[in-house]
Amino acid sequence: MTTGEIGELIGIGAIILAVLLFVAFPALALIYSMIFARFHQAKYQKQLIARESFVMQQLGKDNLSTLSKPVEERKIVQTGLVMSNITVAPSWWQLFLGSIRSIFGGNIVSFDKVLAYGRGEVMQRLREQAIGDGWEEVVNVRVETSMVLNKVKGGKQNKMGTLEFLAYGTGIR
Amino acid sequence: MDQIMTSNTETIPGFKITKSLGIVTGSTVRAKHIGKDILAGLKNIIGGELKAYTELLMEARTEALGRMMMDASQRGANAVVNVRFATSSVAGGAAELFAYGTGVTIVEG
Repeated sequence: MTTGEIGELIGIGAIILAVLLFVAFPALALIYSMIFARFHQAKYQKQLIARESFVMQQLGKDNLSTLSKPVEERKIVQTGLVMSNITVAPSWWQLFLGSIRSIFGGNIVSFDKVLAYGRGEVMQRLREQAIGDGWEEVVNVRVETSMVLNKVKGGKQNKMGTLEFLAYGTGIR
Repeated sequence: MDQIMTSNTETIPGFKITKSLGIVTGSTVRAKHIGKDILAGLKNIIGGELKAYTELLMEARTEALGRMMMDASQRGANAVVNVRFATSSVAGGAAELFAYGTGVTIVEG
């Protein structure tokens, strides 16, 4: 084998590797995302609903409220901040659908689901956090949304669509 | 009262504010770990929660809150009212978490 042939082989190898890395992997990932993402997300949604109804049954009422004072007159011994957070992102397939949708405008159903899940989950975590910390009630609950930890590349922000939800309130007992 | 009471309401029900000691703040800047970033990127394919980021942000926010409490205790406050959080992304992949409130002294009644 001459050195020219070896060089050629290395060149072909590099091209195959590049094709695998930049074409085959993303394509496979997108197909995987299209088929399986909905099952994963449906599973988490189901778990969330189960946990919500469990807490409701245990307490008999929602322990979160957005009012600045508890509704019923009561003695308060101690107060403290309670907070919880979650970072969610749409799947590749949902991002892809969303980018197509943004050409024509309109309601992006696939993003709706992810955001609704994130909000529901963060509030449920606040409930569980409050119960775990021993607070009887949480007043003045606020939910905030922020876009942090995004990739910034060539002026194109938020490539992954990562969103952070923060819920916080004042726990009282 | 040894522990500083915090609240995001303007007053603490059941207590009287005797003195306002001004604004107390605490902040921290966190960057993400590249290994976790790659894992989160893979998790991103199916969407849903990215646990690595959730934990990172909560950890950073707890630290910011702790610094705010330290500021408050240095001023001699025994409670912080009207606590707010602000989050901003500073550079690509880094986040600043900021907690602020009003340091006050309170008495029961």
